[in-house]
Amino acid sequence: MVKSTSKDAQDLFRSLHSAYSATPTNLKIIDLYVVFAVFTALIQVAYMALVGSFPFNSFLSGVLSCVGTAVLAVCLRIQVNKENKEFKHKTVVTNLRGIVAMFVIAV
Amino acid sequence: MMNLSRSVALISLFLLPLLSFSFSVDNPTDRRVLVLLDDLSLKSSHSIFFSTLKSRGFDLDFKLADDSKLALQRYGQYLYDGLIVFAPSTERFGGSLDSKSIADFVDSGRDLILSADTSASDLIRGIALECGVDFDEDSSAMVIDHSSFSVSDGDHTLIAADDLVKSDAILGKTKIEAPVLFRGVAHSLNPTNNLVLKVLSASPSAYSANPSSKLSSPPQLTGSAISLVSVMQARNNARVVISGSLQLFSDRLFRSGVQKAGSPNKYEKSGNEQFATELSKWVFHERGHLKAGSLVHHRVGETDEPAIYRIKDDLEFSVEILEWSGKSWEPYVADDVQVQFYMMSPYVLKTLSTDKKGMFHTSFKVPDVYGVFQFKVEYGKLGYTTLSLSKQIPVRPYRHNEYERFIPTAYPYYGACFTTMAGFFVFSFVYLYHK
Repeated sequence: MVKSTSKDAQDLFRSLHSAYSATPTNLKIIDLYVVFAVFTALIQVAYMALVGSFPFNSFLSGVLSCVGTAVLAVCLRIQVNKENKEFKHKTVVTNLRGIVAMFVIAV
Repeated sequence: MMNLSRSVALISLFLLPLLSFSFSVDNPTDRRVLVLLDDLSLKSSHSIFFSTLKSRGFDLDFKLADDSKLALQRYGQYLYDGLIVFAPSTERFGGSLDSKSIADFVDSGRDLILSADTSASDLIRGIALECGVDFDEDSSAMVIDHSSFSVSDGDHTLIAADDLVKSDAILGKTKIEAPVLFRGVAHSLNPTNNLVLKVLSASPSAYSANPSSKLSSPPQLTGSAISLVSVMQARNNARVVISGSLQLFSDRLFRSGVQKAGSPNKYEKSGNEQFATELSKWVFHERGHLKAGSLVHHRVGETDEPAIYRIKDDLEFSVEILEWSGKSWEPYVADDVQVQFYMMSPYVLKTLSTDKKGMFHTSFKVPDVYGVFQFKVEYGKLGYTTLSLSKQIPVRPYRHNEYERFIPTAYPYYGACFTTMAGFFVFSFVYLYHK
């Protein structure tokens, strides 16, 4: 059983990796940005666990800004993804709309 | 009618110079002392004690205790600053004196020396009770000590006592070497009363009983609970000395030598004269009398007293305390005066340091609590007058623009916000212009 599960895990990982390499570059850029934002938020949570929640307002502002920009980046990814059948927009309009929305709200 | 108005004018003219000779805030030593005796022969049998008082400048007025013209005050003004009652067997005072008027006398801040002897009348017991001192109920009882008596006495009623209170203020700086001779009645103090104090206590082997009859039951008052001489300092700083023996002040015991039974030391002169003299200096405010100036406080670096402090301010506090030396005000030197910064309970309690010239000062930080505080100096050292000073000052919290601009603990959060902004900027460029 052990051997088969470890082989399954390896097979799973390899198939995911190859599928992911097939995605277009622009989606990969968005993914990288989302990972960066969530990573920053996690660092802040770890810091708060260490020193306590004294300036709680500052903690909230830091974490929520990171999480907010990650969420908006995910929205952009959904709208830009060509394989998504629900959204049928022209490339330029999509780009502009997504980016304007992120700019106004994320700040 | 003419006679009456003329005599009233004469009396009021007499009173005017008397007013300038009483004790005052600037000169607290008593001046005029009324001495009540039940027998005028006491003037000669206690002449050394009275002459030492006179040589220190006291105005002694000797009267018999049942003199019908006795009066402590006239037209609302007290005629005397101190009262010595050497009348242990008087049942009733003459004139307008009674135990209530003597209690009022002490209430007005004036001092009293009261002495009982082998017999103490109910009147004397009543006055002592007002001051917190309980004489033995048995009127024939005396203090007997079978191991601490003077060898010259066959009865064991002449006690040689050396258990004195340790106080430089009450008994002076020089140690009293010889024991103090005492023959008289015992009294006890209520242990919860914190205004009375035993100056001369009996040894643990003493007891109070009738010396001429056999003991039928164990005596009530025994051992060190018996006080031979006690003092009381009232809350208004009036001082009272209560002694169980009039013979303690007599010339015979002043001059006699003393040897305590069981001890090889033989003293030429008993400690009575030194004891009585030092005690009289204390009770008539020649020693141990303190006066305090006003409390001064200000922020560090300023000289004016502010109307309100802010939390976490640094402030400096000082107070001036002077001690009366008998003739002039000298700077008081001590290292145990404390100040409290008090609001319902002391938030700050600091011991003041002195510059040996009478100024006591300290500095501290206002605590992180806002409200209305008081600077309180409550000083109650044994034998000295109690000082109870206070000054009120409010403390406010930070104004909105007095908080720190950037909180150091929150720097990572500030950093996170700025990196998110930078990351968004870079991402937007990369996403729009990648190939």
